[in-house]
Formats: sequence, structure tokens, C-alpha cells
Amino acid sequence: MEGVIEITNRNFGRIALVNLPTGKVDQKEIGAEFCTKYLGGRGLGARLLWDLATIGVKPFSAENPLIFACGALNGTGAPCSGRLTVTTKGPMTGGYLKSNVGGRLGITLRMAGYDALVLLGKRAAPCYLLIDEEGIHIKDAGPVWGKGVKDTCAFFYQELGVNISTACIGPAGENLVRFASIMVDAYHALGRGGVGAIMGSKNVKALVIREGVGAVSVADPRGFGDAVAESRDALYADGIQPDLYLYGTARDIDLLEKFQILPSYNHQRGRLKGQSAAHLSGRRWSDQYVTRRTACGGCIYGCHRLTEVSSGPYQGTFSGGPEAEALTSLGTANGITDLEAIMRANEICNDLGMDVSSAGATIGWLMETCERGILGKEDTDGIDVVWGNAKAQETLLRKIAGREGIGDLLAEGTKRASEKVGNDSWKWALQARGLEQTKVELRGAKGYALSFAVNPRGPDHLHAQVLTEFGGTPEAVAKGIEITGDEKLVRPEIYEKRAELVRWHEDMYTVSDCLGICSFATTAAYGIDEVKSAKLFQAFYGIPLDAEGIMRNAKGILTLERMYNLREGHRGRLDDTLPWRVIHEELPELRERVGAALSRVSPEKLAEMLDAYYGLQGWDQQGKPSIATLTELGLDFAISVLERRQAK
Amino acid sequence: MRLKINPKKCTGCGSCMLACSFAHNGVFDLRRSRIHLLKGNPLHKEFIPHVCIQCAEAFCVQACPTGALSKSAETGAILVEEEKCVGCGACVDACPYGGITLQPERRIPLICNLCGGDPECVKVCRLPQAITVIP
Repeated sequence: MEGVIEITNRNFGRIALVNLPTGKVDQKEIGAEFCTKYLGGRGLGARLLWDLATIGVKPFSAENPLIFACGALNGTGAPCSGRLTVTTKGPMTGGYLKSNVGGRLGITLRMAGYDALVLLGKRAAPCYLLIDEEGIHIKDAGPVWGKGVKDTCAFFYQELGVNISTACIGPAGENLVRFASIMVDAYHALGRGGVGAIMGSKNVKALVIREGVGAVSVADPRGFGDAVAESRDALYADGIQPDLYLYGTARDIDLLEKFQILPSYNHQRGRLKGQSAAHLSGRRWSDQYVTRRTACGGCIYGCHRLTEVSSGPYQGTFSGGPEAEALTSLGTANGITDLEAIMRANEICNDLGMDVSSAGATIGWLMETCERGILGKEDTDGIDVVWGNAKAQETLLRKIAGREGIGDLLAEGTKRASEKVGNDSWKWALQARGLEQTKVELRGAKGYALSFAVNPRGPDHLHAQVLTEFGGTPEAVAKGIEITGDEKLVRPEIYEKRAELVRWHEDMYTVSDCLGICSFATTAAYGIDEVKSAKLFQAFYGIPLDAEGIMRNAKGILTLERMYNLREGHRGRLDDTLPWRVIHEELPELRERVGAALSRVSPEKLAEMLDAYYGLQGWDQQGKPSIATLTELGLDFAISVLERRQAK
Repeated sequence: MRLKINPKKCTGCGSCMLACSFAHNGVFDLRRSRIHLLKGNPLHKEFIPHVCIQCAEAFCVQACPTGALSKSAETGAILVEEEKCVGCGACVDACPYGGITLQPERRIPLICNLCGGDPECVKVCRLPQAITVIP
């Protein structure tokens, strides 16, 4: 290696605390011990939220902090290491919320010299933050307030040049739509849980960072280089390739159709009526619509695609995706099967800054509510809300973002909307704890079902992707056998050993989120495991940490997230639950294939899985971590939460 | 040998720049990379990897007043003798292709040397194949 720069004392990270009302920026250094325990990214965010958010703070209160935390390996050449985590108290669940994103934001913020950026308070007038060589500046966002995401980005490219990374909200965030997203580099979504609404409530339109203004140095370059090469080789060898690169998540439609667990008609069915969904698979349409395959910063896979519709009624539609989540949430789950119409809906969500999952699910809930005759045209501003009406969906999406008419009700999400509408409509609100579930048919994937129930931010797959149970690649099968000890247990419909599967996957997922590595590299491909993660971390910081240690620290972070929720009113076992339909209604297609007993997630079976899971975590049967567990994980500071609950 | 660039296939991940900077300097710093991503329309994510193309004339070698630059007989890459370089930047001006930048502190030219025949940037571009090697 020529001209190696000798850096012995790596800066263990700098946190910038931005006081929005005054514009004053406080900088704090974090030490090696903190860095090891919370790793970075999600772990760093979880601890900062614990410390900075006052107990019982309301999500939309100015005191709720909005934390952007770089993954520990952001800005390095570790493969797929461009993911950053945003943490706050969420407006959907009223509890812990983390959202994770790629694009170039993470590596750009890290190279600008910050491991985390915390927004505190509320700015009096719309503003945006510019970070460059000189520091953090607060600027007037007047010219872009009210604009969509693409126009906002175009403004910044015009004003500041193209060598920037942006994170901005659209009108939905400005209007405090509870499931508003923050969009990174125009098409990468911090989608779930409403981080965009929190940013909007602070009058912050965007974060703009100049690219490549500083360096990221490594404690042990030789060791790091070796660890990177080893991880890279494993990823290239994994069976998930080259499909993930060629078709992105959109290829999953094939799998969902094969197992007949394709969320259809608000999860009433596992397949479309009278037609196949094969035309929605990325395998079918990529050649026709993809204009460019793109990737997040530092990603050697690249699963993201830009698509354009070049003719017909949807001509000019152009955005990132649609991913599998959009194809189901804005497609099959609402009976919409016209691919170009789905692309348009996806574009609208991305441009107005809304989570496709919650937005689609809210419209699906309305479609079923209208189908059942509880609401009619007179309640929906004259819109004919029926399954498959793509035009109605498009109009509703715009109304939600603007909180106009019926959109104002839907902008609250299905839980709050169904409480207002009544008439048992909560039963087909596919939500738990206030957040709409993402489009995994949980009745046909019991590991996912458990992971959704215990996910600290609410029900979705981005807590523990238990893809192993589908056994889609040789690596997934091998991992399933390693954990369960039996190839016959590598099946998605069954209940056995799901707690064990979730336990490994959620710890591994936490490590990924903390290091800023994409979960696709750790628990979709099984390329980067805990051993390789620890090697990367150790070489980067020069802090000794082995595989067991990094997984223990991940468990500590998960437990801290649990404690945060308990502190803020989560009721333990009572709230570790799933949408009503998943628990009480059998999925017809699944009943035919595997029998009635396995075609829903019954309360008894969910309870059994939770028992096993709590046991593995060292939590009591109410789902509360024991004092011994907290002490063992170095979370003594959280014990008082248990004592306070006891006193109540 | 030469690097072959296909901009249409570039995903914009920047792994090439990270790998380049790390291989030559032991640090991740986009300003020290010898390959750069130029950008077309950012909303269309148009990226163009830009690197020395080992042109036959080697204007940079001709322009260098101190003889710090030479062409490798083995790979055809331009080699820089740092001790001889005075940081004048004549090579940057001479390159008709814009393939040379200067290292920020010492103003040593950053020119792709093909990593001695096994380029790091190619190793991280295996799926998109925006950067490949022509022997």
C-alpha cells in the first residue's frame, strides 16, 4: 500500500445537536465504550432517544428529537454499508420509531464529519439545513415549501450543484400526514412510521449535505481490507444473485403468487380473483420499464431501479421502484392490477412524501369499508371507492397528502380512522399499535408473524426478515437448519422453533442497522454474518469485539428499545399483537393448501410463540425484561422504569 | 491493458471511488480517488465513471517539466514518481480528457495506475459491470 496515512486515534464520532429555534449547534464527542456498546446507527439513535426525549413527550411536540445517525461503517468500502437510521418518537404508534435508509445520505453525513445529527425544537419559519466544509447552516426554505420531492431536489441541484445528498419531505410531511416519509436523494424512502411528519412539525423541509468533503479513516487498514474482501466474496457467492440486482424486490411477487400468499383485497384473499399477478413480477417488466439500475452509497449489489412509462395514459410517470411493497400495497391489496397505474401511485407517494405501505393500506381499508356499505359516495367526496379503481386511489392519495376532504381522515392512518368510523371497521384495519402492517401475509409465514408482533416500531418486516423460513436459496436453507436443527422446519406455515428463528434474525438485523450495512446483505443474502460483522467493526475502530460480543450488544440495543416503549406506555404482552384479521380470519387459499389450523395465527399459538420468545430474551411472561437481564446487558439505568411500573 | 467504462450500467454506488482511495491511501476519501463519478441529470441518476484512459499520446508525460510521469511498459498505465513531482499541475492542464486530479494537500497528480494490473474498482463492479478490464 503506497502512501498510507498514519491515523492511530480514530475519532470515535461527533454528534451535532442542532437547536432549531436559535440555530445554535452543540457538538459532543462519543467515546470508545459508548461506541462499542451501541455500535452506531440504530443503537446510537436508540440511546440518544432515551437520553434526549423527555418521558411522555408527545410525538408532535417541539421537544421530540429527530435523530439522524450514521451506521458505524458508513463511508467505508465495507460492502453495502450505506445505510443510515433516523430515530424519534413516532406519530403512528406513540412509541419508539426507527427508520432506515440508503441513498448517499449516510456516507455523505459521515464524510462531512458527523456520526449523528440531532434536530431539537421547532423552527419558527420553514427552513432547510445545509452541511458543508464550514459546518451546519440553517437556511430559508420559503422557495421550496409546498413543493413535491422532485421539484425540491431540482431546486437544490440548481442552487448548490449536483454533488450533494438530500433528505426532504413533501407536502404530506408539511401537512403532518401521520405516515409521511422523508425522501433521500429523491427516491429512497425513510418510509415507515411517520418520520416525515416529525420533520414537518419542526418546520424543516430538508437536509442537504455536500458530498465528499472529508475522509473516513480506519484504525487497522490491513485488517479492514481483508475483512472487506472476505465479506464481498461471500456476497458475490450468495444464491440471491443476480436476481436481486436484476429485478430488485419486485421479483418477490413470483414467490408470493407461488405460495398463494399475495396480499389481495385488503388481505381477504391470497391471490387475485380470476387472474394471475405474474405480470407484476420484476422479472416480467424490468426490460420494458427500467431506465437505470441504481444503488445506495457503497453497495455492490444495487437492487434499486428507476422506471419510466413512455406511452399511454400514464406516460411520463417516472420514479424509483415500484418495489414489492408498492406492487402489493398500492396494487393487489387494493385489487389494482394495472402495472402502470401502480407505477403512477408509487410515483405520487414518493413525490408527495408518503409511506406506500400505510397509504395503500389506508385506501384498502376504505375500499372494504365502502364494500360493506358502511361508508358511501356521500362520505368519500363523491369518489367511487371500489376494488381496482386506480383513478380513485390516485385521487385519494393526493387528498391524503393535502388533508383535503376524506383525505383528512385517511391521513390519520387506519387505526384512528376506524375509531372515527366505527361499525366494527377496526376489524379490517390491518394495523397493530397504530401502524399498518407491511405486505407479508403473516398467516402464511409464522416467523414473520412473531417478528411483526414484537417489532418495537410496530408490525413490519424490517425488524427481522425471517426469509429463512421460505428456504428460497441454499444459504437460507442452511441457515434454517443451523438454527432449528431440522430441514423439515424450514417451512413458512408452521409454528415450531419460530422464536429461535426470530431471535437470530433480529439480533443480526440489529447488527446490520447499527453498522449501516443493508439487511439484504445479512438476512436476505446470508453473506455478512456476525463473525464478519465483528471483524469489520474491530478493524475499523481498533476495538476488540468478537461475534458473540457484537450479538450481545445487539440484544442490549433491542432490549433498550423495548424499555423505551415500556417507559412510554407500551403494555408488554398485551401490545405484542397482530392485526385482528390475521388472528381471527383464515386465509382461504392457505386453508386449502395446509389446513384450517395453520391458516391463521390463532391467539393461543401467538401466545405460545411469545412465551418461547420471552424465554429466550430473559423477559418475564408479561414481556418485560427482568432486572437480571437489564443488569447483564449493562442497562441498569433502565431498571427504574420497571420499578415505576410496579408502583403503578 | 485498459479500463472499459460503460456509463449506462453505472449504479452510482461510488464503491469504485471508495475502493480506489482505500487501496492507494488506506483511507476512504473521495478527493483522493483516481476515478470519479461525473453526474448527468441527477434526478435520472445519470452517472459517468471517469478515469485515465491511457491514451497513446500521453500528453501528461510530455507536459511534465520534471520527468515525474512515465508510461508503464507492462500495463500502459501512467506512473507517478512522487519525489520528482513539484505539484505544478501541468499534467492536469495537458490532459484533454480531464482524467487527472490533484491530491488535495501535496498536489501530487492522482492518475489511475491500474493497481499494477489488478484494479480494485473492477472488483466492486462485478454485477453492474460498468467498469471492466480490456487486457
